[in-house]
Amino acid sequence: MTAPVHAGSGAVSTTRRMVLWVPDWPVVAAMREAGLSPDVPAAVLHGRGITAVSAAARAAGVKRGSTKRVAQRLCPDLALLPYDEGRDSRTFESVAAAAEDVVAGVEISRPGLLMIPANGAARFHGSEEALAEALVGSVAQLSEHECLVGAADGLLAAVMAARSSVLVPPGQSQEFLARAGVQVLTLAAMERRQREAVENLVGVLTRLGIQTLAEFTALPLGDVLARFGQVGRWAHRVALGEDVRPPVLRRSEEDIAVSFEFEEPAQRVEQLAFVAEHVATQLDAALLEGGVRCGRVNISARTEHGDVLERVWRTDVGARSGAFAKHMTDRVRWQLEGWLSGTATGPEPAPICALTVTAQDVVALGDEQAYLWGGTSGADARAQRTVERMQSLLGADSVLSVREQGGRAPRDRMLTLPWGQEARTARKVEHPWPGRIPDPAPATVLPIAEPMEVLDAGGTPVSVGRRLTMSAPPTWVRLQAEPGKGPVAAARRHPASGHVGASPTWGQARPVEAWAGPWPVVERWWSEDSSRRAYVQITVRAEDEGSDLAVLAAFSEGQWWLEAVYD
Amino acid sequence: MSTQSPTPDAAQQQRLARARDALQGVQARWGVTREAQQAPAVLPLSEGVAEVMPAGLTRGHVVRVQGSTSLMLALAAEGSKEGSWAAVIGMPAVGAVAAARRGMDLSRLVLVPQPGAQAAAAAGACVDGMDLILLGANLALSDGDRRRLAARAKERGCVILTSGRWPGAQTDLHVERTRWSGLGAGGGRLRKSEMTVAVTGRRQSGVRRVRVVLDRDDAWVSSSASATVREGAA
Repeated sequence: MTAPVHAGSGAVSTTRRMVLWVPDWPVVAAMREAGLSPDVPAAVLHGRGITAVSAAARAAGVKRGSTKRVAQRLCPDLALLPYDEGRDSRTFESVAAAAEDVVAGVEISRPGLLMIPANGAARFHGSEEALAEALVGSVAQLSEHECLVGAADGLLAAVMAARSSVLVPPGQSQEFLARAGVQVLTLAAMERRQREAVENLVGVLTRLGIQTLAEFTALPLGDVLARFGQVGRWAHRVALGEDVRPPVLRRSEEDIAVSFEFEEPAQRVEQLAFVAEHVATQLDAALLEGGVRCGRVNISARTEHGDVLERVWRTDVGARSGAFAKHMTDRVRWQLEGWLSGTATGPEPAPICALTVTAQDVVALGDEQAYLWGGTSGADARAQRTVERMQSLLGADSVLSVREQGGRAPRDRMLTLPWGQEARTARKVEHPWPGRIPDPAPATVLPIAEPMEVLDAGGTPVSVGRRLTMSAPPTWVRLQAEPGKGPVAAARRHPASGHVGASPTWGQARPVEAWAGPWPVVERWWSEDSSRRAYVQITVRAEDEGSDLAVLAAFSEGQWWLEAVYD
Repeated sequence: MSTQSPTPDAAQQQRLARARDALQGVQARWGVTREAQQAPAVLPLSEGVAEVMPAGLTRGHVVRVQGSTSLMLALAAEGSKEGSWAAVIGMPAVGAVAAARRGMDLSRLVLVPQPGAQAAAAAGACVDGMDLILLGANLALSDGDRRRLAARAKERGCVILTSGRWPGAQTDLHVERTRWSGLGAGGGRLRKSEMTVAVTGRRQSGVRRVRVVLDRDDAWVSSSASATVREGAA
């Protein structure tokens, strides 16, 4: 397919590629979204510096990397637009779709840059010139963006060809590159982190007096590797006009989805069993027809009130190819039952009008990724079956999987979900979480905090002031008596003993051995679920001699709460 | 499958041994002999708690742990890390972060916080499919259910760790004393817990007391070896 091009000392096969480049993509995308006309000077601001500049602003002297203040001084009517990687990739879809109108497969290297293997497509369109013309025309017509197209062998040469809109003849890419300065190496870096590393490298090279790629490639590879490590090796290969990897083409495929409209809104669970089976069987058939399997299934339903309920469930790709329809039937039925009965968390239960099941993470049959060390083990499959059996016994929401997530209080740090359900958002563990309750993590974290009493030496409740002053050192702690134990049983037996209603029954006051705190945790003051607490670790002497009980208590709104027990 | 044997005699021996194994398996399974003759498989224990049960966590056994959720998690941790699946039934307040810190793999951990009246069925399903089951204290299990679960666990090679009552448990761990250090009067934080665990077993006379140190923060405490204290029959 691709003719190997000999470059440098070793024979390395490079791909002839065509690159489609939309100049200043971040700012173009942002201006399009903000509804600005293209001749307005605009720039995208990220953090402290400008990351992308429109043509009009560049003419006024604004440069990439300059600060906001400098940019505004050079061009007072500069429109500053926010940085948003999601927007960049999202809006670039239209350009990719327009290019796919002309060629079969494209690789989005980064928003703003498309890579197309040129050989086959050029043969189809007659010549590379014709292909380039078709691409530019299609992108201008369908997505209304100006773009530049170039072709060459190898990654860096192709990107540079696109920037100057030339078609480098096959085999001349190395000469084409040789004249360029070393700073063009950054153009071949597609990710931000990689670009930073390459920028560092370029800086060092310039200071060492190496100005052009020809001078850089003249250095022995071994020395470059020894001095600059992997980045140097990568840059050396790229500068020689070699390819680091072949383009990864994406295939655009329609979502595989099955919908069902209820003739009259379903109110009862029995109505759903048949629908669930019908939908699942249809989805299985559609997947089989496409020759694909899916890793996740999105179940969404519309209720009579117009609410849309959505859940994503993981399915086991490959491991259960035969049982997929039955498995999906159960999932859909459980989910609908949950929504109808209102047991699942969400909006109030309402009759369901329409149901859509969409396959996500679609992979071609036989392309499923197994585990690193072979397929799923027997024990894993057995455990999965067990979980499914329990879910059918107890309901999908009673069998949970658990994950760690970021947070400060022990309860916030775990995320439980029905087994098999995909989490939407989890707070990142890697984030710093200042003020987190220090390790060790308590082994018992009460799902709902229980009231408790922390008393000073005289028996008055201790309180924590706004400035985190404790009214007195805690001396006694009273926990709720365990149900079934002495005091509670006595209170239940004798209503006259003063126990009224649901107020807690207190156990005996126990002396505090040691304590630490208060540690303030004030979270989300701007929102409805704001919390303002002061945590205290306390060890109290247990009933039996010489034993400690360590607890984590929180003071909030004039009341002490038992949050967790270190047992 | 069958290796080339040098002599027909050796092949015969091999076949005989295999037949004995199969017979033993069937006998153990149908309860003709009480326990399988071969050495029972063992789940590993992490370093801190290995002294509590020097023989390891024998598959098919029931271990009762009184007085400490941390100890339960620590016993289950190493097995889970090595690839065993674990289910936690009837412990709505178990701390997942603590489990992860002890070394459990949360991707192979299933929680059933409120099994309600279906406790026996859920535990039975887990005995069939999981390697480790942690049972809470307040489960709706009758003594008959417990016997059946224990028998099935023995057959399936699943370890049951329970904090509730369990007549006939092979090993009984009772945390008699817990001391925490690291807290002062208004300062510091919890840094080290020292437990004295009384170990009683069906196969062992008397009580063995073991000191277990958990959550030791080496940055602060000078390391002290945990010591085993042997005491006479209680």
